[in-house]
Amino acid sequence: MSVKISGNRSQSVPSSFRYLWKRSVAFMLDWAIVYYFLHASMYLYLVFWGSQTIAGWNYYKNNAYVAFFNPLRMDSWMWWVILGGTLLLVVLLRSFGRSLGQRAFGFALQGDKRSSVYAIQRLIRVIAFPVSMLLAPFLLIVSALREHAPKKGLLHDRASRSSIRTYIHPSGVPRKRIWFTQWGWIAIALLILTIFLGWVIIDANIGVLISRTDEARRVFLDIATPDFSHFAVPDPVFYQRAYPQMFSIVNLMVLTVLMALAATLIGAFFAFPLSFLGARNLMCQNRTGYVIYSLIRGFFNLFRSIETLIWVVVFAVWIGYGNPFAGVMALVIHTIAALGKLYSEQVESIDSGPIEAILATGGSRLQIIRYGVIPQIIPSFLAFTLYRWDINVRMATIIALVGGGGIGDLLFYYRNQGDWSQVGAVALAMIAVVWTLDYISGRVRERIA
Amino acid sequence: MRSPADDFQYQPPSLLTREGFAEALGMLRKRMAERLSPFILDLALVTILWVLITYGVSWIVWKEVHYSLLPSWAFLVGVLETVALWESFGQSLGYRVARKSLLGESRAKPTFRQRIVYYLLFHISVFPIIGLAWKQPWHERISGLSVAHNVRGGEKPAPWYRTTSGILVALLMVAILATTFSVTIESDTWRRFLVNPSKAGRIFKALVSPDFSFWQDAVFKLIETIYMAIMATVIGVLVAAPLSFFAARNLTRTPVARFFYTLIRGVLSFFRSIEPIVWAIIFLVWVGPGRNPFAGFLALLIHSIADLTKLYSERLESIESGPVEAITATGGSWLSVLRYAVIPQIINPYISFSLYRWDINIRMSTIVGLVGGGGIGQLLLLLLRAQRFSQAAICVYLIAMLVWGIDTLSSRLRRYYEQGRTIQKEVAEESA
Repeated sequence: MSVKISGNRSQSVPSSFRYLWKRSVAFMLDWAIVYYFLHASMYLYLVFWGSQTIAGWNYYKNNAYVAFFNPLRMDSWMWWVILGGTLLLVVLLRSFGRSLGQRAFGFALQGDKRSSVYAIQRLIRVIAFPVSMLLAPFLLIVSALREHAPKKGLLHDRASRSSIRTYIHPSGVPRKRIWFTQWGWIAIALLILTIFLGWVIIDANIGVLISRTDEARRVFLDIATPDFSHFAVPDPVFYQRAYPQMFSIVNLMVLTVLMALAATLIGAFFAFPLSFLGARNLMCQNRTGYVIYSLIRGFFNLFRSIETLIWVVVFAVWIGYGNPFAGVMALVIHTIAALGKLYSEQVESIDSGPIEAILATGGSRLQIIRYGVIPQIIPSFLAFTLYRWDINVRMATIIALVGGGGIGDLLFYYRNQGDWSQVGAVALAMIAVVWTLDYISGRVRERIA
Repeated sequence: MRSPADDFQYQPPSLLTREGFAEALGMLRKRMAERLSPFILDLALVTILWVLITYGVSWIVWKEVHYSLLPSWAFLVGVLETVALWESFGQSLGYRVARKSLLGESRAKPTFRQRIVYYLLFHISVFPIIGLAWKQPWHERISGLSVAHNVRGGEKPAPWYRTTSGILVALLMVAILATTFSVTIESDTWRRFLVNPSKAGRIFKALVSPDFSFWQDAVFKLIETIYMAIMATVIGVLVAAPLSFFAARNLTRTPVARFFYTLIRGVLSFFRSIEPIVWAIIFLVWVGPGRNPFAGFLALLIHSIADLTKLYSERLESIESGPVEAITATGGSWLSVLRYAVIPQIINPYISFSLYRWDINIRMSTIVGLVGGGGIGQLLLLLLRAQRFSQAAICVYLIAMLVWGIDTLSSRLRRYYEQGRTIQKEVAEESA
C-alpha cells in the first residue's frame, strides 16, 4: 500500500524515463531554436552590416562568403553570456505561453488536475528553475538513498505546483488561431528566417536569372533542337578521346543498359544467398545466427549509405578511369546492399505455415529454404530485381562523371565542349531509354507482384 | 416455355446504336490484345536474342559493334518466320505465359499436317494484323486448330529442356550473361582488377585515416548543402501545394480548368523525366560562373515542384467525396468546401510527402553538387580530382551521417503524420 506523502497534490507527477526524456528533448529543441535565431541574426549582421570589430568579430562588410561559423569566433566570456542569456530566454518562453518545443511534443504547462496556470506560478517556475537544475543531481542521489518513496517531480515543478505535461485539447473548445499562440509566432518566424538565411547562404539572385536570359535561351534552344548526326554514326573526336572502339550514341546507350544489367545480375547473384543470412526470422534462433544476422544487416546498411558515385571513384582508380567495368563494380556494391535489404525484408514477411509444415515432417534447414521459403519469395524477388535494374540504368547514365563509363561520358564531353545540341541529343536518348524501361518494368512488376 | 438459360444466351451488340458500337469496339480491342500480346512477346524475345548474340559474337571476335549483321529485310523476315514457326510447331513463350497452347478439336493433339496448314496461313492471317479481328481467324478455322487454355490433367509437366520456350529462354539467359560480361569487361580488365588493388588501397587507407583538420570547411559546405535542400523543399512546397489543385482530375471539370490540368500535367511530367543532374548542368550555364549553389538549388527546385505536384494531386484525386458533398449541400462556398472538406483530408499526407521530398532533396543535393551544383558534393569532387583522399574521406563521412540522420528523422516524422497522434495512449501511460 502506498503512503500519500503530500496531501495537496491530488495527482502523481509523471516520472517515467520516457516522459523525462521527451521533456528534455523538447527543452533542447527550444534551446536550439533560440540559439539558431541568435546565430542566424549574428551571421546576417556580419554579412550585411558587419563592421571591423564588434566584441571580437572582425570581418568585411557585404561579404557573401562569410562562413556560417564565423559568429562562433568570439572571446571566451561571450560564451557564458550567450549560454546564460539563451537559457533564460528559453525558460521564459517555456513558462509563459506554449513554446514550439512543447507544441512539437504535445506538451503544455498545466497546473494540478490540468488546470490553467497563474502568472505568479509561471514566475516562480522561472526563478526556481536554476535552483532546481543545480540541485537536481543531488536530489537524485538523495532520493536513491532514501528508504521511503521520495516526493516526485522536479523542484521547480513542485514549487510552482505546475508541470509540463501531455496536453489534451478539450473537445468542443475551438483551437486558438496560429497567430495567437507563441509557438505559431516562433514557427512562422523560423520559416521566414530560414528562407532568408538560405537565400543568403546559397547566394541566390533572381536578377542574374533575368539578366542572363539570353544565355539561357541559347542553351535551351540548342537543347531543344538536338543534333542527331552522331546518333548512329560515331563522332570521330570522341572516338579518339575515350574508347578504343567507335561509339555512337546508340552504341553507348546499349552499353549503358548492358552495364546496368550486368551490375544487377551480379548484384542479385550475391544478394540472394546473403538475404537469407540477413533475415531475422531464419537467423535469430540462436546466438551464432544472431551475430551473423547483425553483421550482414550492418554490411547492408553501411554500404547502402555510401553513394554509388563514391564507389565509382574507388573503382576508377583501381580498374582505370572511364572503364565501364569500374562503373559496373560500383553499381554491384550498391546493388548487393540495396537488394539484400529488400530481399531479406521480404524473407522476413513470409507466411510461416509452410515452414512449420516442413519442420513438422522433419525437413532440414536447406529443405525449409528450398520448399518453404523460395516458392513464396520468387515473384517479389523478381519484381525487386527489375526495379533495381531500372535504378541502375538511371545511375549508369551519370556515373561517367567520375570515371564510370557509359553514355554519361558523351554527355559530359559535349557539355564541356559547349556543344548543346549534341547534349540535347544525348539527353533525349537517355530520357527515352529510361522512360521506356521504367514503363516496361512497371508493367511487368504489376503483373508479377 | 422460356427457360432461364435463354436469358444468358449471347446476343451480339447492335452496331447501329452508339452503346452497341462502343461495346463491339471494346470487345474487338480486347480480342486483338489477347491475340497480339503473345505474338509481340515472342517477337521481342526472338529479336533480343538475335541482337544479343550478334552483339556478343561480333564484339568477342572482331571487337566491333553490330546489332544484326543482316540486311534489314532479311532480319525482319527471319524474325517473323521464326516466330511463325515457333508458334505453329511448339508452345511459344507468349502462349506459355498466357497458359495456352495449340489444340485441335475436342482438345486433340494437333497433327503435323494441321500444323503446316496453320503455319502457312499464319502469313496471311497474323502478319496483316487485320486477320486477328475475326472471332475465329482464318488460320485457325482452316487448319482446325485453336489456341485454347491449358487444362493440366494429372500428368507431369515436361522438363524445361524438352520445351521450345524453355530452351529459348535458357538461350536468352546465356546470351545476356555472355554478352553483358564480354562487353562491359574488357579482356585487360580482369588482370587490372586482380593486380591493381594496391591503387585502391590508397583510398581505403585515406578512408580509415581522415584528415580531421579539414572539418570546418567541410561542415560549412555541408550547411550549404542542407540549406539548398531546405530552400528547394520549402519553396517547392509553396509552389506545388496550390498548383496541385489545378493538376487534380476531380477538381478540374470545366473545359478551361481541364486545359490547365493537361498543360500542367504535361509540362511537369516532362520536367520530372529530366534528371536533376541535367537540370543542374543547364542552370549552371544560366546563372553563370561562381553561383554554383544557386544553380543546384534551382535544379532541385524544378524537380521538387514537378514531383510534389504529382504526389499531391494524386492524393487530392483520392479524397472522399462525402464531406465535399455535405458542405456543398449546406450551401458552402467553394472556399469553405476547400477549407473544411478538402484540406483536413489532405494536410497530413501533404506534410508526409513534403518530408519525404526533403529527405530526397538532401540525398540529391550531394549528387547535384558533383556536377558543380555547390555544397559538399562539389567540394568532394574537387578533392577527389586533386587526389586529396584523406580530406575527401571527411566529406564522405559527413554526407553519410547527414543522409542517415535526415533519413531517420524524416521517417519518424512521417510515421507520426501518417499514423496520427497518439496522445490518448500517452496520457494513459502517464497516469499509470
